[in-house]
Amino acid sequence: MADASSVEIRGVDKFYGSFQALSAIDLSVPPGKVTCLIGPSGSGKSTLLRCINFLEVYDSGEIRIDGRMIGYDAPGGRRMSGGALRRMRQSIGMVFQQFNLWPHMTARENVAEGLLRVRRLRRAEAMARAEAALEKVGLGDRMDNHPARLSGGQQQRVAIARAIAMEPRLMLFDEPTSALDPELVGEVLGVMKTLAGEGMTMVVVTHEMGFAAHVADRVAFMDRGELVAVDTPEAILTRPEDPRIQSFLRTFHERNSF
Amino acid sequence: MDWDVLRQYAPILLRGFGITILAWAFGTVFGMALGLVISLAQRYGARPVRWVLQAYIEVVRGTPFLVQLFVLYYGGPLVGLRLDALPAGLVGLTIYGSPYFAEIFRSGFDAVPPGQAEAARAIGMAEPAIVRRILLPLGLVSALPALVNFSIILTKETVILSVITVPELMYQVQRMSTETFRYLEANLVLALFFWGLVELISRGGRRLETRITRHLLERPGHG
Amino acid sequence: MFSIQAFLDSFGPLLWAARYTLLVSGLGIALGLVLGALVCAAALSRWRAARFVAALWVSFLRGVPLLVQLLLMYYLLPVIGINVPAIVAAVVTVGICASAYISEIWRGAIGALPPGQSEAAVAVGMNNRDLWTRIILPQAVVMSLPALVNELILLVKASSLVSLVGIMEVTRASQAQAATTFRPLEVYIAAACIYLLINLCLAGLGRYLEHRMAV
Repeated sequence: MADASSVEIRGVDKFYGSFQALSAIDLSVPPGKVTCLIGPSGSGKSTLLRCINFLEVYDSGEIRIDGRMIGYDAPGGRRMSGGALRRMRQSIGMVFQQFNLWPHMTARENVAEGLLRVRRLRRAEAMARAEAALEKVGLGDRMDNHPARLSGGQQQRVAIARAIAMEPRLMLFDEPTSALDPELVGEVLGVMKTLAGEGMTMVVVTHEMGFAAHVADRVAFMDRGELVAVDTPEAILTRPEDPRIQSFLRTFHERNSF
Repeated sequence: MDWDVLRQYAPILLRGFGITILAWAFGTVFGMALGLVISLAQRYGARPVRWVLQAYIEVVRGTPFLVQLFVLYYGGPLVGLRLDALPAGLVGLTIYGSPYFAEIFRSGFDAVPPGQAEAARAIGMAEPAIVRRILLPLGLVSALPALVNFSIILTKETVILSVITVPELMYQVQRMSTETFRYLEANLVLALFFWGLVELISRGGRRLETRITRHLLERPGHG
Repeated sequence: MFSIQAFLDSFGPLLWAARYTLLVSGLGIALGLVLGALVCAAALSRWRAARFVAALWVSFLRGVPLLVQLLLMYYLLPVIGINVPAIVAAVVTVGICASAYISEIWRGAIGALPPGQSEAAVAVGMNNRDLWTRIILPQAVVMSLPALVNELILLVKASSLVSLVGIMEVTRASQAQAATTFRPLEVYIAAACIYLLINLCLAGLGRYLEHRMAV
């Protein structure tokens, strides 16, 4: 993928009332690389991910996609206009934990919706692209099914197709396999791995340590709203220095050792 | 019941029935439309707009339909609002129904999981398109049972229009009963008629519901 | 134009008539609660005949406009040889009508209890009577309180219809007042205000109950 995006996060804070959900986060995601965000629940990793496409409003600091700040005109400046924000979001795909497919549309319509309403493609072209995206995630035979007729893994693959049909330069994944039955996790991770292989910039919040270990270029560990460490998967997952990471991995392995 | 009497009054009863159906359909369609506008304005409007609408909802829901009709029909002319009985009745039904419909739509919209709109926002869809394509269809589906239910309540409220001399079914039946002195029989037939009508509408409503929600129902493990 | 004086003057007689509005709706809900409990019991009973009668009762009373029910009762009672004051007939009709809605409220509340509740009680060896009086009913009644308050608000509004069978409650009194003062707008708005006042108080009570339940 020639034009993959980069993400620069600098000094980002986020408050819910008096509770600080993110404190002074610095993170850079180079183009074409996969970065996994891991950490205990409530550590702020999903919040940080959702700040990247401004679904969640950050209070200070800056987040830049390809050098362009999202959400605000300038650091500490006014909110960006709705139109400008929507234009930026068009090139950022997002996949949610709960899939969030639209239940009243078929798989094909789900994927085509953004092409029709946002990209304003003609119907025939939108449908053709939607079909291509669904073929790519291995659901060419499921295009006319409504989400209720698909398994969780299939629904999540439709959601990925919906995102990639928009031809994003950056993909955000918010715990994409956490709502899936264990036997369905593989098919979704497989699609994500293919995307990574094509050089897509990806930021993935996940509990799948195997995926983080084998697919990620970099792993970021978060705890209580702070970014504790960013390094290669090996450095974080096999020989972590920080005691918080060690304790997280220990509980993680104990839970999965049965 | 004397069949001759019924035959003699059949034309005016039929006309009365026509007006009852007209009033019901008018009240349902326009009350629903007004209610939808109110609920959207409450969702997206500025704060003063929301306050005014909330006051409107409280006032209309807190007062009897009969009194609302009296204000409109007998009080209206004093401020230059001169309506005939039927238009007054239709306007009255629309106003009366609107806050209930608005509340039904509001909870229908609230029942749409926020993730649905969020997914649309994440691909850069604009807010009006999100309302039209996501919020409205999904909200309508979850509001449908309550909409049918309230539409049935409106069917029954149409009889109150007879008090301000709208010549609907109730009015004609009372006229027939005073002319023939068959008060009990006439009202019994009227009761049975409404019972049947309401049963019919609720059955139709349930059928509509299952049709519309067919593919929304969770049927997991398929494929 | 709108006369503030006429508006304020109508409150005296209308508030005095409000005692009948409160009487009809208050006694109506009381009767509705008693009958509603019986109907609900019948609806949940193991006898098919009882369930059938309850279903018929609910379906008829919810299908027929209250105004028609009032007239039916008004004309029916003399025919079957019962002569009672109009107010009694009105209260009974309102109560009977309310019983259909109240039985459905209770049936809904009982149905909404998680099945684990009864299972847990049965698992500790509780008998059927204790299951109902100790576990199911206390919870269901508390859960149904906001809906019952709402039903009372509906009855306050519905009580305006008993004006049409001659009871001198707020609506009837406002008609009489409008006929003598020729200020229908002011008088009927005053009547609306009285209903609104009663119902806002009741709605406040409902919110209070709901809030207490949530804690």
